[in-house]
Amino acid sequence: MKHLIIISALIMLSATACKKDYPVDDDGLLITPRAECYVSNFELLGADYVTVLTKSPVIDTTAQTVNVTVQFGTDLKNLFPQFTLATDCKLDPKIVGKVDFSDLANPKQYTVISGNRQIQKTYKVLITVQPR
Amino acid sequence: MQLQSTYIRDTFLLTALLLIMAGCKKKDYELPVPKDVLQNDCIKRTQGPNIVGQTIEFAYAMAILAEKGKLVSAHVEATIDGAAGTWMENKSYYTNNSGVDVGITVGSTSVTTKNITTVSFSKDTNAATLRYYYIIPDAARGQSVSFTFSAESSNGETVSYKMGPYTIAKMDMKRNIAVSDGNLAYISIADMTAYNATDAAAKAGSIDLVYLYRNLTTSAFNHALVSPAADAQYLPGITLPGGVNRSTNERKAFNLQDYNLAQLQYGIYIDDLDFQQLNMSNEPNYAINLKQEAGVWVETADHKYRAYIYFNSANNTSKSAVLSIKRYAM
Repeated sequence: MKHLIIISALIMLSATACKKDYPVDDDGLLITPRAECYVSNFELLGADYVTVLTKSPVIDTTAQTVNVTVQFGTDLKNLFPQFTLATDCKLDPKIVGKVDFSDLANPKQYTVISGNRQIQKTYKVLITVQPR
Repeated sequence: MQLQSTYIRDTFLLTALLLIMAGCKKKDYELPVPKDVLQNDCIKRTQGPNIVGQTIEFAYAMAILAEKGKLVSAHVEATIDGAAGTWMENKSYYTNNSGVDVGITVGSTSVTTKNITTVSFSKDTNAATLRYYYIIPDAARGQSVSFTFSAESSNGETVSYKMGPYTIAKMDMKRNIAVSDGNLAYISIADMTAYNATDAAAKAGSIDLVYLYRNLTTSAFNHALVSPAADAQYLPGITLPGGVNRSTNERKAFNLQDYNLAQLQYGIYIDDLDFQQLNMSNEPNYAINLKQEAGVWVETADHKYRAYIYFNSANNTSKSAVLSIKRYAM
C-alpha cells in the first residue's frame, strides 16, 4: 500500500513537471515570440465562391495597402475576402461572412497583429473595377 | 491455507480449459429453411425531392414456395391518385452476362383505376420483382402520399407492404428551356418560359430576366441573365420591349449542379427548404459571366417566386444556352 502511494505521487509529479504554461490571447490563440506583421497574399471571392480578381493582388507592405482589380460586373456588396498573413499573425476585424466593399471612396481597413501581439499594422483594401 | 490456494488454482485451470474447448467448438452449417408463406419486400428507387410531374419509382418483390402456389396478382394503392402515366411493370428482370437487364413478361399490362394499379400474372410465377412508377399529380403538391403494395397467391394468401409517407415538394420544375441572344431572350419565371421580343412585349409584366451573350475583349461578360431594370451597362445593345422593366434579385452560384436540373452524376438536390431559407434582400439585379454548369438564384420583383436557374449548356458561337429551372411559389 505504501509503495502504491509513492508510485502514484511520482507519476503525478512527473506529469505536472512536463506541463508548461503557454500564453494565449483573448481569442485563445497562442502568443508567440514572432514580430513579423504583414499581409502575404489576398483573395476576393464572389457570392459563387469563385475569384473576382482579374490578376494577382499588389500588396505594399510599406504603404500598407492591398490593391486589387475586380472583374466588370462584380457585386461589391457580397464579397468574401481572404487574407494570408505572416506566421502567427491574426486579423482584426475578423472575417465572419460576406463583406460590403461597395463604398470605394472609403476603403475597408484590416489590422494585422503580430504573433507576439506587440505590433499592429492597418492595411487598406483598395478596389478597382475593371472597365467594360 | 495451502489447500485452499491449490483448490482456487485448479478451479481456475479447469475454467480456462472449458473456455478453450467451448471456443473451439464449430457449429454445423444448417441450410436456411424458407418461410412457407407468401412474402414481399419493397424499396424506393428514386432519391431527392418528390416534384410534381416527376416519377417516384419503387421495386416491389413478392415470392411464394413453388409447392405452395403461384403469384396471381400485384396491387399498389396510393393515398392520392397518380397522374396519367402511373403504371407498374409487367416484366420481371434479370441481369444477363453482359450486365444488361432483360425483362421477362410475367403478367398482363398494368391497369390503373383511380389510385389503384394492378398487374395480373399470366405466367406460372412464384417469385417476381415488379417496378412501379408513380407520376406525382398536381393534387399532391405540398402533401404527403403513402403507398400500400400487396400481392395475392393462388392458395388464397395475401401479403402487403406499406411505403411512405413521402412529402411532395411545393416547387415546380421545368427543364431544357432554350434561350438565345436577340431571339428567345426574355425569361418569365412565372411562366418558366423564354419569349422573343414580340411575345415579351405582350407579357411585359411577367418578364423577369433578359438573356444575352457578349464577347468583350476588355472584360468577361459572356453569358448573362440581367434584369430589365438593371443598369444599362449590363444590357449593352439591348432595346427592351415596351413595358419590360422588372427588377429581379440574383445571386450567382457555381458547383451547384442540382441532380434534377443537371441530370449529371452529382448527388445534389435543391429542395423547398433551400428556397424558404434563401435571403435575397441584398443581392444585385444582374448576373454576368455565366457558363455551363453555373446557376443563378433569383427572386422576382413581386416576391411571388424564388427560383434556381441552371445552365445545362452554353454555346458561345450560336450565342445561346439551355436552362433548367426549379421554382418555388412563396
